[in-house]
Amino acid sequence: MFKKLRSIISKTDADYADIRYEIKRETKISFNGKELGQIGSNTTDGYVIRVLKNGGISSVAFTKETDAEKALESASQNAHLISKNIEKAVEFAKTKVIKDTFLPKLKEDPRKVSIDEKLELTRKYNGIPLKHEGISTTAIQYLEVIREKYFASTEGSEIREDLITTRINGLITSKDGNLIQNVRAGVGGSNGFAILRNKEGEFEKKTGIALDLLKATPVKAGTYNVILNPSMAGVFTHEAFGHFSEADLIEDSPTMREKMQLGAKLGNNVLNIIDDPTMPDQLGFYRYDDEGVRARPTQLLKEGVLVGRLHSRRTAAAFGEPLSGHCIAEDYRYAPIIRMGNIFIQPGTKTFDDLLVELGDGLYILDAKGGQTSGENFTFGAQYAYLVKDGKLGEMIRDINITGNLYKTLQNITAVGDDLVLCQIGGCGKGQLNIRSCNGAPHILVKNIIIGGV
Amino acid sequence: MERLMQIARKVSDKVEIYSLDETSNSVSFENAKLKDIDSKFQSGFSLRIIKDGKVGFAFTKNLIDREEFVENALSSLKGGVEAEFDLPLTGNLPKLDTYDPSIGSLENNTIVDECNRICDILAPRTEGQINLYAGCGINRLRLMNSNGTDLSTDYSYYYTYTAIMYPGSYASISREGIYKKFKKTPDACLKYVLDTYNGSAKEVSPRGGKMKVLFLPETIYVLMWRLWHATSGKSIYQKESPISGKLGKQIFDSKLTIYNDPLNDRWPGARSFDDEGTPCQYFPIVENGVLKNFYYDLHYANKLNTKPTGHGFKSSGWGGDTITLKPNPHLNHLFIKPGDKSLSEIIRSLDRGIIVAGALGAHSGNIPNGDFSIGLCPGLYVENGEIVGYVKDAMVAGNIYEVMKNVVAIEDTLYPASMGTYPAVLFDDVSVATK
Repeated sequence: MFKKLRSIISKTDADYADIRYEIKRETKISFNGKELGQIGSNTTDGYVIRVLKNGGISSVAFTKETDAEKALESASQNAHLISKNIEKAVEFAKTKVIKDTFLPKLKEDPRKVSIDEKLELTRKYNGIPLKHEGISTTAIQYLEVIREKYFASTEGSEIREDLITTRINGLITSKDGNLIQNVRAGVGGSNGFAILRNKEGEFEKKTGIALDLLKATPVKAGTYNVILNPSMAGVFTHEAFGHFSEADLIEDSPTMREKMQLGAKLGNNVLNIIDDPTMPDQLGFYRYDDEGVRARPTQLLKEGVLVGRLHSRRTAAAFGEPLSGHCIAEDYRYAPIIRMGNIFIQPGTKTFDDLLVELGDGLYILDAKGGQTSGENFTFGAQYAYLVKDGKLGEMIRDINITGNLYKTLQNITAVGDDLVLCQIGGCGKGQLNIRSCNGAPHILVKNIIIGGV
Repeated sequence: MERLMQIARKVSDKVEIYSLDETSNSVSFENAKLKDIDSKFQSGFSLRIIKDGKVGFAFTKNLIDREEFVENALSSLKGGVEAEFDLPLTGNLPKLDTYDPSIGSLENNTIVDECNRICDILAPRTEGQINLYAGCGINRLRLMNSNGTDLSTDYSYYYTYTAIMYPGSYASISREGIYKKFKKTPDACLKYVLDTYNGSAKEVSPRGGKMKVLFLPETIYVLMWRLWHATSGKSIYQKESPISGKLGKQIFDSKLTIYNDPLNDRWPGARSFDDEGTPCQYFPIVENGVLKNFYYDLHYANKLNTKPTGHGFKSSGWGGDTITLKPNPHLNHLFIKPGDKSLSEIIRSLDRGIIVAGALGAHSGNIPNGDFSIGLCPGLYVENGEIVGYVKDAMVAGNIYEVMKNVVAIEDTLYPASMGTYPAVLFDDVSVATK
């Protein structure tokens, strides 16, 4: 394979070129309610070429091997066109030339589990909510994505790495008259099939929440002091802070760069945030990114001070900061962009009970339900919450959507729990979908959060 | 494809083959400077077979080993996915004007020159940051089935997206243009973006509460997403639509007419058939506030014992790779009927209110229930008929079955935007939460 890839990029007159060939095998089994909607395994493949020429960089994604020459030519022309139109040449930060094959250690290789067994496990989990009368439907899916990646560059790197993602997840919907509630449920990971077994408890717990939500009280819009559970705090870390530490999102915004200078005191002293793709057994684990750079743990916030950033080779050079190995593509249809790996708030010292006492009156908000960010502003939803009065948990509340400003919120995180949890299901849609986007946190206490209500 | 059809027919009762070739170029400008140019040439095939009332599905990028491809579809039959529907025999469809051959020879430097021209116009007239995205492409689609259907369509597109961004964020005033061939961005579009941004450049923090809220064409999708969900044959079958029993009933303000019109070929992407070969048609969803129809693909129409409506598309909410997706009911050509007031007339009529110029978190919240709760990104605050500034850190929330009962005015012009082609719509009595 590498011989073929080398021969394709060797024809370029560019300053630098790389090529990534991927074989992607997807196994999907999906249920809508009791009915099986889809089952099957399919393999697709394709190439992405990137060319750096005279200070311009361009990429072409293609699926037919016979288009390789045309693709290289287009990328070269586009790079040349860019070079004529920019003031500052694009440079790549220097990285080690690597020749390596990395196949992750698995706890049960999903390729060795029969599709019948996968179907039965999915059917079993899907059946858990459907036993209950108040559950109107489910949409539960088994998804297995195996990316076999081959990367070669004109600098001489040749890297083969496999990324194996498995999960069973979806939505449980409850209904009472015209009131419909739904809850996300799921298990998954990057280290094999075993993580999916014996997880009935997850689907039983989420079924209970879907049913309880039918009786929950809608939240009143307003500003609250809150405790976020690890899932919510993890999504906050990803959405509000994490995206802002992706160098490509702020590179060309002078106003955002000004605020995000290394050394800036952005958050409360209790706050430490790191992105570490090298943690084995976590969803966001990988060894090399899609530019052939070895991933490294990157401390982003240290006692509230910005100390690091996530980079591609291009942005590391542009910012004059160290490479971090965070330039990742969804698959062979895309050139890589900067993505988080495993981003999380590092645990503090407070127990959950300490946080409840510190909160006094407010809300305890649980389980993220989608979020979005735009520079310093973020919005995200929660599955449910409980009223807290005098440090005691009260009734269940629904329809929680919060919004806020990154800087104010980072300052308003006043206490961090000791109970770190990282997520098992990813789905970050920054132009491309990253199903291995992993985030986490312990419980955290946040002051003055705006809740929209309905 | 013909050979694949022959091979597949021998081992199954019904066969459907879908092929898609896509070529595209995209150009991005950030902070008024050229940033990236990327291209794609992608192709692929999907295969659906029906045998003994079960459906098998497979897809591939390269049609190298046809036998193996068919074998893959056959092996997925074992799962036992029911297929009680037949594949349609469709021909003699209306000819739509979807393809302009000039796109094939459009060069990236023409697009770059046009973006430079726009930057030269905008940059001296605003302090906001200018981002532009433009690009073009050609899609070639062919669909054939064993009942004799053999349909194809080519379509070309050229788009520009012009945005001026507020400081410290990606919140922006933006407008999209989409055409079948290269076209210079009209002055009116640039003027709208400039005037709206410059008029709202000051940050303001108004009081919250219930007030009039104007959704621009760029943000109406927040509301339409909930309606998409509620009127899909899939939701009706799954019993997750709050309006399943409301056909013929008034669900929205009588000023609102919402329809799907795949045959409208003024914009790119018009279709005379869906991704299963069912003919497309003008299709009212809501007429003068009255719920008229639910939309179906072959599978859900069969399940609910009704006729397919030409809405079986291989789409997913998150882009997805078309050939890897099975058809599902989708509204891919949604319109809201324009009203009789210009945008500036509507704004002038507002004593106090919020304009939703950008939305964060449209995908969160209880979509089946019709609830939405979005961060303003940004919101523009209007007092005494004039925009006085932009608002951040605020949310607009509600339920579409309450909010859309209270329409004050609808803009007189349609704009292509996210998930459809819409005018701006002004609603009364919507909840706004601020700090």
